Amino acid sequence: MQSKLSGKQCPIDHDHESRAYASSWPDQYREMRSECPIAWSKNHGGYWVASRYRDIVAIAQASDVFRSNKTYDAENDVVKGGVLIPPGTSVRGLPIETDRPEWDSYRSFINRKFAPKASEVRRERVRHFTTEMIDRVIETGKLDFVHDLTGPVPAMATMELMGLPLEEWREHADAMHEIVFLPKESEEFGKALERFNWVYQRCAEEFRRYRELPEEDNLLSYFAHGQIDGRPVTEEEALGYALNILAGGVDTTTSLTTHTLVYLYENPEERERLIAEPELLPTAREELVRYFSPMHGIARNVVEDFDIGDVKMEAGDRVFLPWSSGNRDPEIFDEPEKIDLARFPNRHIAFGAGMHRCIGSFMARVMFEEMLTQILERMPDYKVDVSAAERYPSVGTINGWINMPATFTPGKKRLV
Amino acid sequence: MRVRIKAERCVGHAMCYLAAPEIFVLSDEDGRASVTVDVVPEEFQEAVRQAARSCPEEAVDIY
Ligand code: HEM
Ligand code: SF4
Repeated sequence: MQSKLSGKQCPIDHDHESRAYASSWPDQYREMRSECPIAWSKNHGGYWVASRYRDIVAIAQASDVFRSNKTYDAENDVVKGGVLIPPGTSVRGLPIETDRPEWDSYRSFINRKFAPKASEVRRERVRHFTTEMIDRVIETGKLDFVHDLTGPVPAMATMELMGLPLEEWREHADAMHEIVFLPKESEEFGKALERFNWVYQRCAEEFRRYRELPEEDNLLSYFAHGQIDGRPVTEEEALGYALNILAGGVDTTTSLTTHTLVYLYENPEERERLIAEPELLPTAREELVRYFSPMHGIARNVVEDFDIGDVKMEAGDRVFLPWSSGNRDPEIFDEPEKIDLARFPNRHIAFGAGMHRCIGSFMARVMFEEMLTQILERMPDYKVDVSAAERYPSVGTINGWINMPATFTPGKKRLV
Repeated sequence: MRVRIKAERCVGHAMCYLAAPEIFVLSDEDGRASVTVDVVPEEFQEAVRQAARSCPEEAVDIY
């Protein structure tokens, strides 16, 4: 065993943003978990990577040492801290990029809106959006799953939750999808960023409009009328929430559903099984979110020296926590590389761990179940054109698909 | 067998509820769990053990 030395032990070439990572991550993490469980990468200014389940959970739970807060120095245009490596935009996501005690105020202000009951109430609407989107393609016998279904439904459900006008769903769905997968250095990224800024601007405009109206049952209106610690919510805060909810909630659910559709296409006996035994859905859902870990990983900022495993982390260091690696740790999961739709218990951390754990998991579960159930009902023989489907070039934050053409036996519309 | 939720550890993964919906409830306020019974009836004891093994935060305390 190594002794605890100060300095950055276990150097590795880890870069979750790289193209190589997109295909090699299961192997890279397997090797790290056994050889070098906490390792130092020199990329992106240097950061630790913790690959074992137990260390990832321990770090996520020690939120007083491993912080999420982000600050922005406007004069020099420098973003410090936050949960992304490399650092993201200047907008601070709420509540994701805050620490205690601020986090308590920000999170408790919205908890009730995402609780199991509030999410269950939205199921009917999610079902309606799914029916509507499938109706648009059901008579043609072909669709692009991402463009026509798994992108739009979470976008529409989230827009309704936010209080954004549903007529604009196509623009919003495209903007939220593109911003995630286009490489930051590409020319298209600039345009995608503009479109994403337009989403922001729409949120700001609606927030201001809701201020002038009586309170309605949506988040922007709730922000416009609500109080945090006895004072009104600022526009900056409303946009911080919007960033976290739109960026954290839409494409993650899209990715989970899309991956599932490929898996069920490539494993027809599993598709048959899920159709024959719909009661498998709850354990299947948890297993698929474990295996695909659509939010691949997230970062923290070390604020005091901390010994963990064989390494000594120092104040000022950054750490990357790959939930995806924890979710394939053989110390916790039997045959972690295998999908077992009936796996239970399943203590996966695809929704994170510790206090920042996903607030939207109940919404995500409702959206996933409604889309998958209706696809299996209405296009049970769908075939994916895998050769034409494209993966995200970089999967380190969100692991998803750009598009996914498919065909099926045409059917009838449900809505008139 | 008795069971309780360590409130300071529970963050609302809902795995306990998936394991034993008869024994655990999730709050409408914040999604966190609490228990509906103090003493676990025989027929739910295995499910409660599963719940404890399902919770990533080790918040389900059997005592
Ligand atoms: C399959 C879908 C989803 C996955 C895999 C996922 C994953 C995650 C993870 C891993 C975290 C923890 C981040 C951290 O520790 O810093 C998180 C936080 C969060 N998620 Fe999700 N998420 C999903 C869906 C959603 C949805 C549908 C929404 C909202 C509509 C949402 C909103 C949020 C918010 C607001 C946070 C921050 C919570 C806090 O900081 O207290 N997520 N999510
Ligand atoms: S599984 Fe654990 S953390 Fe999740 S609700 Fe149950 S007790 Fe709480």
